[in-house]
Amino acid sequence: MASAASSTTAPAISHKIKEGVAPLRAGQGISFFLRRLHSLTGIIPVGAFLFEHILISNSTAISGPAAYARQVTFLGSLPLVFFLELFFIWLPIAFHGLYGLYIWYRGDGNVAEYPWTGNWMYTLQRWTGGIAFAYIVWHVWTMRFAGIDLHAYPSASFGKVQEEVFQPALFIFYVVGLIAASWHFSYGIWLFFAKWGIITAQRAQKRFLVFCLLFFFLLTGVGLASLAAFRSRPQQPIEPGMAAKVTQSAESR
Amino acid sequence: MANKSVILRIKRQPNPAAKAHWEEFELAYKPNMNVTSCLMEIAANPVTREGKATTPITYDSNCLEEVCGSCAMLINGRARMACSALIDHLEQPIRLEPFSKFPIVRDLATDRSVIFENLKAVKAWVPVDGTYDLGPGPRMTQEEQEGAYPLSRCISCTCCMEACPQFNEETGFVGAATISQVRLFNTHPTGKALKRERLAALMGDGGIQECGYAQNCVEVCPKDIPLTKAIAEVGGEVMKQAFVDLFRR
Repeated sequence: MASAASSTTAPAISHKIKEGVAPLRAGQGISFFLRRLHSLTGIIPVGAFLFEHILISNSTAISGPAAYARQVTFLGSLPLVFFLELFFIWLPIAFHGLYGLYIWYRGDGNVAEYPWTGNWMYTLQRWTGGIAFAYIVWHVWTMRFAGIDLHAYPSASFGKVQEEVFQPALFIFYVVGLIAASWHFSYGIWLFFAKWGIITAQRAQKRFLVFCLLFFFLLTGVGLASLAAFRSRPQQPIEPGMAAKVTQSAESR
Repeated sequence: MANKSVILRIKRQPNPAAKAHWEEFELAYKPNMNVTSCLMEIAANPVTREGKATTPITYDSNCLEEVCGSCAMLINGRARMACSALIDHLEQPIRLEPFSKFPIVRDLATDRSVIFENLKAVKAWVPVDGTYDLGPGPRMTQEEQEGAYPLSRCISCTCCMEACPQFNEETGFVGAATISQVRLFNTHPTGKALKRERLAALMGDGGIQECGYAQNCVEVCPKDIPLTKAIAEVGGEVMKQAFVDLFRR
């Protein structure tokens, strides 16, 4: 390959001479495996968990504190729940998030020069991923590891969430995190189907994009309805002793 | 009408190590001008807009009809072919820059040989070689021909690579053109003898996995090659091959 070294008599080098992009390294490295694993973990288990978290579990908040406590009790009573969390939630999210940041760092977004839909989606996928990851790290910390342990006191769950969503700044953070994660997952499904060669033709890809957009509205809509449910009820107590009692009375409401 | 002029701002650099600078040129407008014809006029009379004598602009070009792939450059910030960039369709002053992701040779000429290294790495050819007549090859159906023809129009101009956010020194991404050529040669009845090797090559670092599906490639391609479709199809094939290699090799 002709290199950048010039044959002219040593010109004064005022900047770094561009080396150029390296050719394909056929048969080298494991980036194919890592990148495909990143793509897969985004759907299963991370995306599947988001589906469950928003559409199945959190939506029970719409029915009230008692229904919500029942769902949290059920999740907490799953066998080997710590290992389920570790291998199907925390580790996959950590890998997907951290490797995703590495992918973001390596790309050179260029929407200013090429402001087309696909390119905007490319950039948006990186920003929503970053925002969602920051939100998730905070959310897991405050809900799972800080404050009252919801595995031990599931009936305190509703009140614990309320404590956060009643604060305007944190409520906005919830909404932003919800929208970012929903978008990232919805467009991520589209990307998965394109990258794995499942939907290849441009027309079919456009149709599927509409489907993914509808899925985004479903996730965001149900998520917002659940958040509204937390804010629409009076603050439930979160002290271990009190919580159980109040939830009982809330059921009759 | 008669006094209409064309103004070009051109980024110049006498050698790879020198600092780049801009020069402005003004040409008398003529109907049907394109960027290459402007560069030819400047070469005939290399004087800047301020009346300062300068050197002719260095740039690559050959066919002048968008089939050789030489004259790719950034025109008003976008990757495209100079020969098919009509002055009537461009906003003035017209900004000409060399491609930003390839080593600069001089002025608008860049060293784009990486695409040939990539094409070699995926064996983008039909393996017929020998000292005697092998007879006629297998026939392709009309449908296969229609699928392959658009891909065969690739002129290796590297516009798809320049416009790709994933194509940079950090990733060493192979780029859309090479992936579409894998698709072309893997569907060729004789070319598919090397199918596995091509797919395996695309699993290497800088391979198909680096595609972020920004889809700029298909937008800038001067030959309207269905690049994103080719990438998706080859992506699926590479994935299948990865499983086959994992379990059966």
